[in-house]
Amino acid sequence: MADEKTILHELKVLNKYGIHARPAALLVKTAGRFSCDIFIGQKGEEVSAKSIMGLLTIEGHQGAKLSVRIVGADAEEALAELIGLFENKFFEE
Amino acid sequence: MSITLKELLSSSTERLSLELVWGEERLDRTIEENALNRPGLALTGFFQYFAQRRLQVFGLAEFTYLKSLNSEERELRLRGIFEKNVPAVVVSRNRNPLPELRVLAEEYGTPLLRTAMITSHFINECTLVIEELTAPRDRVQGTMLEIMGIGVLLQGQAGIGKSETALSLIGRGYSLVADDVTEMVRTGGRVMAFAHEMTRYHMEIRGVGIVHVPSLFGVSAIRRDAMLDMVINLHPYVNDADEDRTGLQQTEIEILGVKIPYFALPVSSGRDMANIVEAAALNYKLKLLGHDAAKELDDKLIANFLRKAVK
Repeated sequence: MADEKTILHELKVLNKYGIHARPAALLVKTAGRFSCDIFIGQKGEEVSAKSIMGLLTIEGHQGAKLSVRIVGADAEEALAELIGLFENKFFEE
Repeated sequence: MSITLKELLSSSTERLSLELVWGEERLDRTIEENALNRPGLALTGFFQYFAQRRLQVFGLAEFTYLKSLNSEERELRLRGIFEKNVPAVVVSRNRNPLPELRVLAEEYGTPLLRTAMITSHFINECTLVIEELTAPRDRVQGTMLEIMGIGVLLQGQAGIGKSETALSLIGRGYSLVADDVTEMVRTGGRVMAFAHEMTRYHMEIRGVGIVHVPSLFGVSAIRRDAMLDMVINLHPYVNDADEDRTGLQQTEIEILGVKIPYFALPVSSGRDMANIVEAAALNYKLKLLGHDAAKELDDKLIANFLRKAVK
Protein backbone atom coordinates (compact mmCIF):
# COMPACT_ATOMS: atom_id res chain seq x y z
CA MET A 1 0.00 0.00 0.00
CA ALA A 2 1.18 3.46 -0.80
CA ASP A 3 0.79 4.97 2.67
CA GLU A 4 2.58 2.09 4.43
CA LYS A 5 5.78 3.30 5.94
CA THR A 6 8.72 0.99 6.48
CA ILE A 7 11.33 1.81 9.07
CA LEU A 8 14.60 -0.07 9.50
CA HIS A 9 16.60 0.29 12.68
CA GLU A 10 19.17 -1.50 14.82
CA LEU A 11 18.79 -2.13 18.55
CA LYS A 12 21.39 -3.37 21.00
CA VAL A 13 20.49 -5.59 23.96
CA LEU A 14 21.82 -3.90 27.10
CA ASN A 15 20.38 -5.90 30.00
CA LYS A 16 22.50 -8.57 31.63
CA TYR A 17 20.12 -11.50 31.22
CA GLY A 18 19.17 -10.75 27.62
CA ILE A 19 15.71 -11.16 26.10
CA HIS A 20 14.49 -14.04 28.24
CA ALA A 21 10.84 -14.73 29.00
CA ARG A 22 9.99 -11.60 30.98
CA PRO A 23 11.49 -9.05 28.55
CA ALA A 24 10.04 -11.03 25.64
CA ALA A 25 6.58 -10.81 27.20
CA LEU A 26 7.06 -7.07 27.69
CA LEU A 27 8.07 -6.69 24.03
CA VAL A 28 5.02 -8.64 22.88
CA LYS A 29 2.72 -6.55 25.05
CA THR A 30 4.23 -3.32 23.77
CA ALA A 31 4.18 -4.42 20.13
CA GLY A 32 0.57 -5.56 20.52
CA ARG A 33 -0.55 -2.01 21.23
CA PHE A 34 0.34 -0.91 17.68
CA SER A 35 -1.37 -1.80 14.45
CA CYS A 36 1.89 -1.87 12.47
CA ASP A 37 3.78 -5.10 11.85
CA ILE A 38 7.02 -5.33 13.79
CA PHE A 39 9.80 -7.78 12.97
CA ILE A 40 12.93 -8.38 14.95
CA GLY A 41 15.78 -10.10 13.19
CA GLN A 42 19.24 -11.48 13.50
CA LYS A 43 21.58 -12.84 10.86
CA GLY A 44 19.01 -12.41 8.12
CA GLU A 45 16.20 -14.24 9.95
CA GLU A 46 13.36 -12.37 11.54
CA VAL A 47 10.38 -13.08 13.76
CA SER A 48 7.27 -11.12 14.65
CA ALA A 49 7.66 -9.01 17.77
CA LYS A 50 4.07 -9.95 18.59
CA SER A 51 5.02 -13.62 19.05
CA ILE A 52 6.54 -14.60 22.37
CA MET A 53 7.65 -18.01 21.12
CA GLY A 54 9.25 -16.32 18.13
CA LEU A 55 11.18 -13.85 20.25
CA LEU A 56 12.55 -16.64 22.42
CA THR A 57 14.28 -18.17 19.38
CA ILE A 58 16.34 -14.99 18.93
CA GLU A 59 19.82 -14.98 20.43
CA GLY A 60 19.05 -11.85 22.43
CA HIS A 61 21.97 -11.94 24.84
CA GLN A 62 23.61 -8.84 26.27
CA GLY A 63 25.52 -7.04 23.53
CA ALA A 64 23.57 -8.66 20.67
CA LYS A 65 22.62 -6.33 17.83
CA LEU A 66 19.13 -6.90 16.47
CA SER A 67 17.60 -5.48 13.33
CA VAL A 68 14.11 -4.05 13.52
CA ARG A 69 11.74 -3.69 10.61
CA ILE A 70 8.47 -1.91 11.19
CA VAL A 71 5.75 -1.60 8.57
CA GLY A 72 2.62 0.45 9.08
CA ALA A 73 1.09 3.80 9.79
CA ASP A 74 2.14 4.02 13.45
CA ALA A 75 5.70 2.75 12.79
CA GLU A 76 7.46 5.76 14.27
CA GLU A 77 5.58 5.67 17.56
CA ALA A 78 6.22 1.95 17.83
CA LEU A 79 9.94 2.37 17.22
CA ALA A 80 10.17 5.07 19.90
CA GLU A 81 8.57 2.69 22.40
CA LEU A 82 10.89 -0.17 21.46
CA ILE A 83 13.97 2.03 21.78
CA GLY A 84 12.72 3.02 25.22
CA LEU A 85 12.41 -0.61 26.29
CA PHE A 86 15.89 -1.56 25.10
CA GLU A 87 17.52 1.54 26.58
CA ASN A 88 15.82 1.03 29.91
CA LYS A 89 17.10 -2.57 29.94
CA PHE A 90 13.48 -3.78 30.02
CA PHE A 91 13.28 -2.29 33.52
CA GLU A 92 15.30 -5.19 34.86
CA GLU A 93 18.31 -3.43 36.30
CA MET B 1 -19.24 -19.00 65.44
CA SER B 2 -21.04 -21.30 67.82
CA ILE B 3 -23.73 -23.95 67.41
CA THR B 4 -26.73 -25.04 69.41
CA LEU B 5 -27.23 -28.52 70.80
CA LYS B 6 -30.12 -28.93 68.40
CA GLU B 7 -27.81 -28.32 65.43
CA LEU B 8 -25.31 -30.81 66.78
CA LEU B 9 -27.97 -33.47 67.35
CA SER B 10 -29.84 -32.98 64.09
CA SER B 11 -26.68 -33.26 62.01
CA SER B 12 -24.81 -36.00 63.83
CA THR B 13 -26.99 -38.12 66.12
CA GLU B 14 -26.01 -41.25 64.20
CA ARG B 15 -22.40 -40.36 63.57
CA LEU B 16 -21.85 -39.75 67.28
CA SER B 17 -24.26 -42.50 68.49
CA LEU B 18 -25.99 -39.86 70.57
CA GLU B 19 -29.15 -40.24 72.59
CA LEU B 20 -30.92 -37.53 74.54
CA VAL B 21 -31.56 -38.67 78.13
CA TRP B 22 -33.13 -35.44 79.34
CA GLY B 23 -33.63 -31.91 78.09
CA GLU B 24 -35.75 -31.89 74.93
CA GLU B 25 -36.94 -28.38 75.82
CA ARG B 26 -33.46 -27.05 76.44
CA LEU B 27 -31.75 -27.91 73.14
CA ASP B 28 -31.58 -24.26 72.09
CA ARG B 29 -28.55 -23.86 74.38
CA THR B 30 -25.36 -23.02 72.54
CA ILE B 31 -21.98 -24.64 72.88
CA GLU B 32 -20.10 -21.39 73.27
CA GLU B 33 -16.63 -22.79 73.00
CA ASN B 34 -16.04 -25.20 70.13
CA ALA B 35 -14.42 -27.97 72.11
CA LEU B 36 -15.07 -30.66 74.69
CA ASN B 37 -13.92 -30.98 78.27
CA ARG B 38 -13.46 -33.87 80.67
CA PRO B 39 -14.34 -32.41 84.05
CA GLY B 40 -12.06 -34.67 86.13
CA LEU B 41 -10.24 -31.88 87.95
CA ALA B 42 -13.43 -29.93 88.54
CA LEU B 43 -14.93 -33.00 90.21
CA THR B 44 -12.16 -32.89 92.77
CA GLY B 45 -13.22 -29.33 93.54
CA PHE B 46 -10.57 -27.50 91.52
CA PHE B 47 -12.40 -24.90 89.44
CA GLN B 48 -9.61 -22.62 88.27
CA TYR B 49 -9.47 -22.73 84.46
CA PHE B 50 -12.64 -24.83 84.36
CA ALA B 51 -13.78 -24.86 80.71
CA GLN B 52 -17.42 -24.24 81.53
CA ARG B 53 -18.39 -23.08 78.04
CA ARG B 54 -17.59 -26.48 76.56
CA LEU B 55 -19.53 -29.71 76.32
CA GLN B 56 -18.67 -31.80 79.41
CA VAL B 57 -17.87 -35.46 78.82
CA PHE B 58 -18.08 -38.02 81.62
CA GLY B 59 -16.02 -41.12 80.84
CA LEU B 60 -14.78 -44.13 82.71
CA ALA B 61 -12.33 -42.13 84.83
CA GLU B 62 -14.98 -39.63 85.99
CA PHE B 63 -17.41 -42.43 86.79
CA THR B 64 -14.87 -44.46 88.74
CA TYR B 65 -13.90 -41.38 90.72
CA LEU B 66 -17.52 -40.46 91.47
CA LYS B 67 -18.24 -44.00 92.64
CA SER B 68 -15.40 -43.78 95.11
CA LEU B 69 -17.28 -40.99 96.90
CA ASN B 70 -20.24 -41.34 99.25
CA SER B 71 -23.52 -40.17 97.82
CA GLU B 72 -23.59 -36.85 99.70
CA GLU B 73 -20.13 -35.90 98.55
CA ARG B 74 -20.93 -37.08 95.03
CA GLU B 75 -23.96 -34.80 94.78
CA LEU B 76 -21.98 -31.86 96.12
CA ARG B 77 -19.17 -32.27 93.57
CA LEU B 78 -21.56 -32.71 90.66
CA ARG B 79 -23.58 -29.70 91.76
CA GLY B 80 -20.39 -27.66 91.48
CA ILE B 81 -20.27 -28.44 87.79
CA PHE B 82 -23.95 -27.85 87.06
CA GLU B 83 -23.78 -24.53 88.93
CA LYS B 84 -21.34 -23.32 86.28
CA ASN B 85 -24.16 -23.51 83.75
CA VAL B 86 -22.32 -25.84 81.34
CA PRO B 87 -24.03 -26.24 77.91
CA ALA B 88 -24.67 -29.99 78.32
CA VAL B 89 -23.32 -33.14 79.88
CA VAL B 90 -22.48 -36.24 77.82
CA VAL B 91 -22.04 -39.68 79.31
CA SER B 92 -19.91 -42.03 77.20
CA ARG B 93 -19.80 -45.83 76.79
CA ASN B 94 -23.60 -45.98 76.99
CA ARG B 95 -23.46 -45.99 80.78
CA ASN B 96 -26.56 -45.37 82.79
CA PRO B 97 -26.22 -41.83 84.08
CA LEU B 98 -25.96 -41.81 87.87
CA PRO B 99 -29.25 -40.83 89.52
CA GLU B 100 -27.58 -37.66 90.83
CA LEU B 101 -26.68 -36.60 87.29
CA ARG B 102 -30.25 -36.95 86.16
CA VAL B 103 -31.66 -35.06 89.12
CA LEU B 104 -29.17 -32.21 88.80
CA ALA B 105 -29.67 -31.96 85.04
CA GLU B 106 -33.38 -31.38 85.58
CA GLU B 107 -32.78 -29.01 88.48
CA TYR B 108 -30.40 -26.80 86.48
CA GLY B 109 -32.08 -27.29 83.11
CA THR B 110 -28.92 -28.77 81.60
CA PRO B 111 -29.46 -31.28 78.79
CA LEU B 112 -28.08 -34.75 79.52
CA LEU B 113 -26.89 -36.91 76.64
CA ARG B 114 -25.50 -40.38 76.25
CA THR B 115 -23.25 -41.87 73.58
CA ALA B 116 -22.41 -45.48 72.82
CA MET B 117 -18.87 -44.50 71.84
CA ILE B 118 -15.88 -44.76 74.14
CA THR B 119 -14.71 -41.42 75.46
CA SER B 120 -11.61 -40.82 73.36
CA HIS B 121 -13.38 -41.73 70.11
CA PHE B 122 -16.31 -39.56 71.01
CA ILE B 123 -14.08 -36.59 71.80
CA ASN B 124 -12.21 -36.94 68.48
CA GLU B 125 -15.32 -37.38 66.40
CA CYS B 126 -17.36 -34.73 68.16
CA THR B 127 -14.52 -32.20 67.81
CA LEU B 128 -14.53 -32.88 64.07
CA VAL B 129 -18.31 -32.50 63.88
CA ILE B 130 -18.24 -29.20 65.75
CA GLU B 131 -15.41 -27.97 63.54
CA GLU B 132 -17.35 -28.87 60.39
CA LEU B 133 -20.52 -27.23 61.68
CA THR B 134 -18.74 -24.01 62.63
CA ALA B 135 -16.32 -23.81 59.67
CA PRO B 136 -16.41 -20.57 57.65
CA ARG B 137 -18.69 -20.92 54.65
CA ASP B 138 -19.50 -18.93 51.57
CA ARG B 139 -21.48 -19.24 48.39
CA VAL B 140 -19.70 -18.08 45.26
CA GLN B 141 -20.78 -17.57 41.68
CA GLY B 142 -18.99 -20.09 39.49
CA THR B 143 -19.00 -23.62 38.09
CA MET B 144 -16.92 -26.18 39.95
CA LEU B 145 -15.19 -29.05 38.17
CA GLU B 146 -12.67 -31.69 38.97
CA ILE B 147 -10.04 -32.20 36.29
CA MET B 148 -7.59 -35.05 36.87
CA GLY B 149 -7.63 -34.50 40.61
CA ILE B 150 -7.43 -30.71 40.33
CA GLY B 151 -10.42 -28.79 41.68
CA VAL B 152 -11.21 -25.89 39.31
CA LEU B 153 -13.70 -23.09 39.87
CA LEU B 154 -14.75 -21.48 36.57
CA GLN B 155 -15.86 -17.90 36.92
CA GLY B 156 -16.86 -15.18 34.50
CA GLN B 157 -19.76 -12.92 33.63
CA ALA B 158 -23.13 -14.38 32.66
CA GLY B 159 -23.18 -15.68 29.11
CA ILE B 160 -19.40 -16.01 28.75
CA GLY B 161 -19.76 -19.79 28.48
CA LYS B 162 -18.98 -21.31 31.87
CA SER B 163 -21.60 -24.03 31.63
CA GLU B 164 -20.79 -24.74 27.97
CA THR B 165 -17.10 -25.08 28.82
CA ALA B 166 -18.01 -27.35 31.74
CA LEU B 167 -20.17 -29.45 29.43
CA SER B 168 -17.25 -29.97 27.03
CA LEU B 169 -15.00 -30.95 29.92
CA ILE B 170 -17.59 -33.43 31.20
CA GLY B 171 -17.66 -34.85 27.69
CA ARG B 172 -13.91 -35.42 27.99
CA GLY B 173 -14.40 -37.48 31.12
CA TYR B 174 -13.95 -34.90 33.88
CA SER B 175 -16.46 -34.39 36.66
CA LEU B 176 -18.96 -31.71 37.58
CA VAL B 177 -19.23 -30.68 41.21
CA ALA B 178 -21.56 -27.67 40.94
CA ASP B 179 -23.00 -25.56 38.14
CA ASP B 180 -23.01 -21.78 38.43
CA VAL B 181 -23.38 -21.58 42.22
CA THR B 182 -20.81 -23.29 44.39
CA GLU B 183 -20.83 -23.67 48.16
CA MET B 184 -17.46 -23.34 49.85
CA VAL B 185 -16.39 -24.42 53.31
CA ARG B 186 -12.97 -24.07 54.87
CA THR B 187 -11.61 -27.29 56.31
CA GLY B 188 -8.15 -27.19 57.77
CA GLY B 189 -6.15 -24.84 55.60
CA ARG B 190 -8.05 -25.69 52.41
CA VAL B 191 -11.36 -24.91 50.79
CA MET B 192 -13.84 -27.64 49.93
CA ALA B 193 -16.39 -26.98 47.22
CA PHE B 194 -19.76 -28.64 46.73
CA ALA B 195 -23.17 -27.97 45.26
CA HIS B 196 -26.31 -26.82 47.00
CA GLU B 197 -28.39 -29.86 47.90
CA MET B 198 -31.35 -28.82 45.74
CA THR B 199 -29.48 -28.27 42.50
CA ARG B 200 -26.71 -30.84 43.00
CA TYR B 201 -25.74 -32.71 39.78
CA HIS B 202 -27.93 -30.49 37.62
CA MET B 203 -26.78 -27.89 35.18
CA GLU B 204 -28.37 -25.38 32.88
CA ILE B 205 -27.41 -25.25 29.22
CA ARG B 206 -28.75 -22.30 27.28
CA GLY B 207 -31.22 -23.44 24.68
CA VAL B 208 -31.55 -26.90 26.22
CA GLY B 209 -32.63 -26.10 29.73
CA ILE B 210 -31.89 -27.87 32.98
CA VAL B 211 -30.27 -31.28 32.61
CA HIS B 212 -29.42 -34.02 35.10
CA VAL B 213 -25.75 -34.71 34.50
CA PRO B 214 -25.41 -38.34 35.75
CA SER B 215 -28.48 -39.39 33.74
CA LEU B 216 -26.89 -38.04 30.56
CA PHE B 217 -23.23 -38.86 31.14
CA GLY B 218 -23.13 -41.50 33.87
CA VAL B 219 -22.04 -41.35 37.47
CA SER B 220 -18.39 -40.82 36.61
CA ALA B 221 -19.39 -37.37 35.33
CA ILE B 222 -20.15 -36.10 38.82
CA ARG B 223 -18.50 -35.67 42.18
CA ARG B 224 -20.16 -34.70 45.42
CA ASP B 225 -17.33 -32.39 46.43
CA ALA B 226 -13.77 -31.44 45.57
CA MET B 227 -10.97 -29.44 47.13
CA LEU B 228 -10.52 -26.08 45.43
CA ASP B 229 -7.07 -25.85 43.82
CA MET B 230 -7.44 -23.05 41.28
CA VAL B 231 -9.83 -20.36 40.07
CA ILE B 232 -10.11 -19.70 36.34
CA ASN B 233 -11.81 -16.51 35.26
CA LEU B 234 -13.11 -16.39 31.69
CA HIS B 235 -13.21 -12.84 30.42
CA PRO B 236 -13.90 -11.21 27.05
CA TYR B 237 -10.73 -10.79 25.01
CA VAL B 238 -9.31 -7.28 25.07
CA ASN B 239 -6.19 -6.44 23.14
CA ASP B 240 -3.90 -5.03 25.75
CA ALA B 241 -5.27 -6.76 28.81
CA ASP B 242 -2.64 -6.91 31.50
CA GLU B 243 -2.29 -10.62 31.10
CA ASP B 244 0.65 -12.83 31.86
CA ARG B 245 2.09 -14.17 28.63
CA THR B 246 4.75 -16.35 30.18
CA GLY B 247 3.12 -18.14 33.10
CA LEU B 248 5.97 -16.96 35.32
CA GLN B 249 3.74 -14.84 37.52
CA GLN B 250 1.23 -16.46 39.82
CA THR B 251 -1.75 -14.36 40.83
CA GLU B 252 -3.84 -15.41 43.81
CA ILE B 253 -7.26 -14.56 45.17
CA GLU B 254 -8.58 -15.17 48.65
CA ILE B 255 -11.56 -17.39 49.30
CA LEU B 256 -12.56 -17.79 52.96
CA GLY B 257 -9.14 -16.44 53.90
CA VAL B 258 -7.28 -19.09 51.88
CA LYS B 259 -5.06 -17.98 48.99
CA ILE B 260 -6.04 -19.75 45.76
CA PRO B 261 -4.07 -19.56 42.47
CA TYR B 262 -5.99 -17.46 39.96
CA PHE B 263 -5.84 -17.56 36.17
CA ALA B 264 -7.54 -15.11 33.81
CA LEU B 265 -8.29 -16.68 30.43
CA PRO B 266 -9.40 -14.43 27.58
CA VAL B 267 -12.30 -15.75 25.53
CA SER B 268 -12.52 -14.97 21.84
CA SER B 269 -14.16 -16.67 18.92
CA GLY B 270 -12.32 -19.72 17.77
CA ARG B 271 -10.74 -20.43 21.13
CA ASP B 272 -11.87 -23.79 22.45
CA MET B 273 -12.16 -22.87 26.12
CA ALA B 274 -12.56 -26.46 27.34
CA ASN B 275 -9.22 -27.29 25.77
CA ILE B 276 -7.57 -24.28 27.36
CA VAL B 277 -9.06 -24.85 30.80
CA GLU B 278 -7.90 -28.46 30.61
CA ALA B 279 -4.37 -27.36 29.65
CA ALA B 280 -4.31 -24.80 32.48
CA ALA B 281 -5.39 -27.43 35.03
CA LEU B 282 -2.90 -30.01 33.81
CA ASN B 283 -0.09 -27.46 33.70
CA TYR B 284 -0.91 -26.47 37.25
CA LYS B 285 -0.83 -30.13 38.28
CA LEU B 286 2.59 -30.42 36.68
CA LYS B 287 3.71 -27.40 38.70
CA LEU B 288 2.50 -29.07 41.89
CA LEU B 289 4.63 -32.06 40.95
CA GLY B 290 7.64 -29.73 40.88
CA HIS B 291 7.88 -29.23 37.12
CA ASP B 292 7.42 -25.56 36.22
CA ALA B 293 7.80 -25.49 32.44
CA ALA B 294 7.86 -21.69 32.06
CA LYS B 295 10.48 -21.29 34.78
CA GLU B 296 12.65 -24.07 33.41
CA LEU B 297 12.64 -22.63 29.89
CA ASP B 298 13.41 -19.18 31.27
CA ASP B 299 16.34 -20.52 33.32
CA LYS B 300 17.67 -22.24 30.21
CA LEU B 301 17.42 -19.01 28.17
CA ILE B 302 19.14 -16.94 30.85
CA ALA B 303 21.98 -19.45 31.24
CA ASN B 304 22.51 -19.41 27.47
CA PHE B 305 22.45 -15.60 27.27
CA LEU B 306 24.84 -15.19 30.20
CA ARG B 307 27.32 -17.46 28.46
CA LYS B 308 27.16 -15.40 25.29
CA ALA B 309 26.88 -11.94 26.83
CA VAL B 310 29.15 -9.25 25.39
CA LYS B 311 29.48 -6.23 27.67
